[in-house]
Amino acid sequence: MSVSSKSFSELSARALAKAIKDRKLSSVEATTESISRLKVAHEATNCIIALEADEALAAAKAADAALANGANLGPLHGVPLAHKDMFDRVGKIASWGARIRADKPATTNATVIERFKAAGSIQTAALHLTEFAFGPTGHNYVLGHARNPWDNTRITGGSSAGTACAVALGAIPAGLGSDTAGSLRLPAANCGVTSIKPTWGRVSRAGAMPLAACLDTLGTIARHMEDIALTLGIIAGADPRDPAAGDVPVPDYMAALDRPVRGLKLGIDERLIGEAHPDIQRMLDRVVTALVKAGLTKTPCTFAKWSEIDHLTQAMQLPDAASAHAGYLMTRPDDYGPQVRARLEVGHFISGVDHMTALRARGTVLQSVLDTTFRGIDIAILPINADPLPTIAELDVAGSPALQATMARVVKFTRPINYLGLPTLTLPIPREGGLPNGMQIIARPYAEDLLVSVGQAYQREVPPEIAKPLA
Amino acid sequence: MSSAPPPDKPAIATAAYLSMPDERRTAAMAHAALLGETVRKVAVTLPLGADVDDFRRVLVSEGRK
Repeated sequence: MSVSSKSFSELSARALAKAIKDRKLSSVEATTESISRLKVAHEATNCIIALEADEALAAAKAADAALANGANLGPLHGVPLAHKDMFDRVGKIASWGARIRADKPATTNATVIERFKAAGSIQTAALHLTEFAFGPTGHNYVLGHARNPWDNTRITGGSSAGTACAVALGAIPAGLGSDTAGSLRLPAANCGVTSIKPTWGRVSRAGAMPLAACLDTLGTIARHMEDIALTLGIIAGADPRDPAAGDVPVPDYMAALDRPVRGLKLGIDERLIGEAHPDIQRMLDRVVTALVKAGLTKTPCTFAKWSEIDHLTQAMQLPDAASAHAGYLMTRPDDYGPQVRARLEVGHFISGVDHMTALRARGTVLQSVLDTTFRGIDIAILPINADPLPTIAELDVAGSPALQATMARVVKFTRPINYLGLPTLTLPIPREGGLPNGMQIIARPYAEDLLVSVGQAYQREVPPEIAKPLA
Repeated sequence: MSSAPPPDKPAIATAAYLSMPDERRTAAMAHAALLGETVRKVAVTLPLGADVDDFRRVLVSEGRK
């Protein structure tokens, strides 16, 4: 084979697809390498819930045969990927990261799974998530905590922990996750990779385990910006199975990779950023420096009433999640881990009036943010984490009285964005030898193509990395 | 003669159907009250005509620009 084991991990999904198409690498070789690397990644990080080696290799053989027969190939033909274990797949029962599971196998694929299959990709594993995707740290009191690939005493972030770990360690080039309050951004930032949380409604959620449908958003985690563009283009767009996924046209995200960014205005809210730990503020400065070098111009902006928006988000999210789980919580409460149980319970104490008010206010609040915060800027930047990467032990609060305050600090900069439904892109910091972290750039609704353009310009300054354990 | 429950305590606890210790119940109520305080401040400023579909209307209108 012309593509070495080392370069497999460094190649993007797009480059792997080209290598397979050009017969420089077979799908079986790529899939074998991915499986081998996933096993190593799992030992280090607990990133796998189910390794599906036999099925994946059979699919890879079929992909190689189709290539030999001159079949019409999708953009990810024969490329091994792996996804968060929360999507319906025909004949399988997703774990949901939980002890409680569906009582029978799925009879249809989730739309995102179907679209990845149609693009030719192969799923090699179902990956770790926080129990029911309800937790921002990577702790899972039922299936075991995820461990950070750079320092396995530290958190991965959650809930899409397994995908971020596997991508960071070069076991897969990209994979699916979900984001209700930060679950694509926190693990990507903490593992030193990138992710796209699209606009709410940009990607169909049909067949995905719901956490809080009013906020749930599906997206991808990858190392290379071209894979963010490629995978988003595959999964975005209208779907009759999810009424929220409307028929707003899907732009050519790959074309956005090479679009110039010089002169774009980068909004910076110094007051809000000042609420992060000083180390986080310094990391954000490094990211801003790289963006300015890429051609962006710093411009002041203000995210008003951030704490108020956070409370509105919770008044929506908690009853939504509590309602989805009401049956299980009343009949099988002891099958929940302590943290998710305690968080779900809170939703039962929020009044219907408060929940409806938060829902009714959402359009007004979003319009206000667009008219004020985004007046005169193209994108904004905020931290993802409020604090430097903590250890697993430091955030092991389970269901204790410290839970709400601890979680609120973890999602301080991510959760309000879900209320606004805005798209964000995770930019890993220039590490300069330290632990990873990441910042989020935020755009107006459906401006994911702008984020892709800026992200690609950023990666020219700060190239993607494979995780290496730090001493 | 039976005594009525104290006026500041509801006769039936909120979410009595959930099996949870008093400590967690108290913490959950306190958190819900905190959120409710903020939500009511917003409610005072919200027009009568604001509805849950406004959010999607704003998103789609932006997407079609």
